[in-house]
Amino acid sequence: MDEKQQNIRNFSIIAHIDHGKSTLADRILEYCNAVSKREMEEQLLDNMDLERERGITIKARAVRIEYTHTDGEEYVLNLIDTPGHVDFNYEVSRSLNACEGALLVVDATQGIEAQTLANAYLAVDANLEIVPVINKIDLPSADVDKVRTEIEDVIGILAEDCPAVSAKAGLNIDQVLNAIVESIPAPQGDPSAPLKCLIFDSYYNAYLGVVVYVRVVDGTLRVGDKIKLMSTDACYDVVEIGYLDAFGLKKGEELRAGEVGYITASIKTVSETRVGDTVTHASNPALEPLQGFKEALPMVYSGIYPADGAKYNDLREALDRLKLNDAALSFEPETSIALGFGFRCGFLGLLHMEIIQERLEREFNLDIITTAPSVIYKIEKTDGTTILVDNPSNYPSPDTIKVAYEPVVKASIITPVEYVGGIMDLCQDRRGTFKDMKYLDAQRVELHYSLPLNEIVYDFFDALKSRSKGYASLDYELSGYEPSNLVKLDFLLNGELVDALTFIVHADKAYARARRIAEKLKENISRQLFEIPIQAAIGSKIIARETVKAMRKDVLAKCYGGDITRKKKLLEKQKAGKKKMRRLGSVEVTPEAFMAVLKLDDDDK
Amino acid sequence: MRALGLYIHIPFCQSKCRYCDFYSLPHRQACKIHDYVSVICSHMEKEASLYRDCIIDSIFIGGGTPSLVEAHDFERLCDTIRRCFNVSCGVEFSLEANPDSINREKLLAYKKCGVNRLSIGMQSALDSELRCLGRIHTLEMLEKSYFLARECGFDNINLDIMYALPNQSLDAFLKTIERVIELNPEHISAYCLKIEDGTPFSKMELDLPNEDIQYDMYMTLCERLEALGYEHYEISNFAKNAHRCAHNLKYWRQMEYIGFGPASHSFFDGVRYYYDSDLELYTRDLELGAPKRLFEDSPQMSEDEMMDEYVMLALRLGDGISEREFFNRFKKDFKSEYDIEKFVKSGHMVAQNGIYRFSNKGFFVSNFILENILKSI
Repeated sequence: MDEKQQNIRNFSIIAHIDHGKSTLADRILEYCNAVSKREMEEQLLDNMDLERERGITIKARAVRIEYTHTDGEEYVLNLIDTPGHVDFNYEVSRSLNACEGALLVVDATQGIEAQTLANAYLAVDANLEIVPVINKIDLPSADVDKVRTEIEDVIGILAEDCPAVSAKAGLNIDQVLNAIVESIPAPQGDPSAPLKCLIFDSYYNAYLGVVVYVRVVDGTLRVGDKIKLMSTDACYDVVEIGYLDAFGLKKGEELRAGEVGYITASIKTVSETRVGDTVTHASNPALEPLQGFKEALPMVYSGIYPADGAKYNDLREALDRLKLNDAALSFEPETSIALGFGFRCGFLGLLHMEIIQERLEREFNLDIITTAPSVIYKIEKTDGTTILVDNPSNYPSPDTIKVAYEPVVKASIITPVEYVGGIMDLCQDRRGTFKDMKYLDAQRVELHYSLPLNEIVYDFFDALKSRSKGYASLDYELSGYEPSNLVKLDFLLNGELVDALTFIVHADKAYARARRIAEKLKENISRQLFEIPIQAAIGSKIIARETVKAMRKDVLAKCYGGDITRKKKLLEKQKAGKKKMRRLGSVEVTPEAFMAVLKLDDDDK
Repeated sequence: MRALGLYIHIPFCQSKCRYCDFYSLPHRQACKIHDYVSVICSHMEKEASLYRDCIIDSIFIGGGTPSLVEAHDFERLCDTIRRCFNVSCGVEFSLEANPDSINREKLLAYKKCGVNRLSIGMQSALDSELRCLGRIHTLEMLEKSYFLARECGFDNINLDIMYALPNQSLDAFLKTIERVIELNPEHISAYCLKIEDGTPFSKMELDLPNEDIQYDMYMTLCERLEALGYEHYEISNFAKNAHRCAHNLKYWRQMEYIGFGPASHSFFDGVRYYYDSDLELYTRDLELGAPKRLFEDSPQMSEDEMMDEYVMLALRLGDGISEREFFNRFKKDFKSEYDIEKFVKSGHMVAQNGIYRFSNKGFFVSNFILENILKSI
């Protein structure tokens, strides 16, 4: 066996949100002198502001750490970071596949939580050696023994001797490194076999083109090699090879079986380098690609429009830039009568959608308006043709539809027992079909449901979290299309159709949804000089109606003591507030009104 | 001669009202106000020469609480005014007073100094509302000082009232309306409570009447006062028998006025400037030369800005904008410059014989309309 591989350990850290994953990563880097305290930015691994704020990791990163073990041997530790949300489950599973082991961080004050479990199962599925790490033992409410027992009972892995640490205080970090070296197996690839590398992440760099992160499973990769991506058969010449340390890319000559590193090969967009794909040599290719490659397909669509129509090209450029680094994002131009020129964008899920929206606003300083998320409907028309509809406005009129199909997902929900009732009600309400229920242990249940995707894209995840105090976790995958009794629900403001508000809903829920949205619109449209009727309609039939009363009073400024500027400022402030408004016919609406309409909070029904 | 208004700010109050964000300092010792009057006098003396060719036809002593100034200090202030400026014999001379600081001696001194218009802060006829506002007087005190002023010969009195107060119902406001009508002042200013940033009210959770109640309050007030012969000559101001406030009209008609004291505003030679709200700084700068004049944006307004400002101010008035006067001033046609047709149609504005003005309903949403028609904002 390759001697070099003996001293390599490839691992991830997985944890529930806030259990201290990033802090532990920082501490490991610090302990191995990969980075000094002074140089350390808090939570080095999470690069994006958004990640830091939301406390979640969106894109994977990999860092090589050199470590001298207590036995005097030099080890190379590759820490592969993983994203932590259901929308990115596929990416997580690919990152885990690049490892032999995972540190499962559990908060000593909280115990095991939903994501801990979901992540642990992903790690088990990837055949990883799981090393539990109990964190936050410095807190007064820490109960290490209880958490040890819980880990053993619930996940079924030994935790008797697992490290108990405080990442924040830097306590017992040596035990973690010990466990990494002692418990996680070394990789066992064949350096002379045909090349097989797993792509687990990639990003676009303005100077290098796409930087592809790979785990070499078998074979050896050198600068100048001609490589082939097995899902597309596209070939490239390797320009640069190396690994990543805490500060950036470090050039090298080769990557051998068992190693983790990066390659650049003049690749222009990340959509050419799909996560999960296998890199091999163009000559002497591997016979079989690595298992488990899936193309990331958008499941949720929504329209994104610039709040200021003149910013259309800026929005296009911003989306182009984001796309460079996000293969799962898709977009194409569309026009709305209400919102003007914009783009129909496809996302992996709701979180992915929100992240893209926020990045557009923050990183590109764009004010955007987003329409209701939609799924793709399949329509068999009476003329024998079948069409796909990703924009509710394009939904054909009922008399031309023979059968309408909607996407259905296989959903798995893991929850503490006490929330099962509430969650079953929720799934029932969302037109779910119960499949089965499994007790994972005395406290934890796994529910399986078949659910229409369009019931999930609104606010299912939020509702699930609120009904389970945040403990339930959700995983879903598309299982197919089923015939459904769908209707197109339109909204009219002041008698004018607002196409951006149109959406598709199951006939049974149309009335309730129409009423709620009309109410929401009423709450979110500020009074104007004239009364504004809000109507919800199916075809020409009005099924709900609300009225925004006419504005009768606004702020009266005193012009006391000749202070004219006071009044001017008031007008300017008022005007600035209105700049963000969109004119829909004769009605002014804030961009927030659109989003508010979509967030029909389950609990205030 | 060039007509000029004079404003003097007295930034002291016995106690700060919870809604107020005007510049005023807590008044503890009388000597402070004494010194302050000296500061103002010296400032006026220094600048007197700038206004040689002007004639002061309106004086307004505002605050703060000007009635805190002792009689002899007030006499000194007025002597200086008359020494420094040409004061017209027909001058309108207003002074703001609070019921808690008026007495016969002061009133007689005002009278002697030529004050011919008093503006008294009544605010409400309900003691519970007065307490809520942080006022330190009661209805009884207000009435006493009002009648005392009448006794002393003041025949032009304004009463300030407020509405849309926390927890105020329409009925409660009607009580204030009826009471103020009984007192029968020549002039009534009625202000809608606005919660200003930084005031105690802005930090409290207040239960304010909703938009519809506020609208009803305003409409009731307008109808009631108009029926009794009060002329609704400005959004918030009502006057009987031509007792409009000449000084305030200057603000709304883009006429010239100069202010003295920290936080006072001036408009002279087409330039708007003001002094910082900082008495210490004002005093120090004055010793070294002159308090620093501050400007909003650029000191000199563009033609469009002047025009917008004119429209914004003139539309506050019941007289509104006269097409002819607008043309004389700007050599432009009002109706082609400002798109008001739809507001006339909707009943928010009235067009009559070349005059354009807000209706009562329009007054109450005037910001919204102004924002729609002004060019430079």
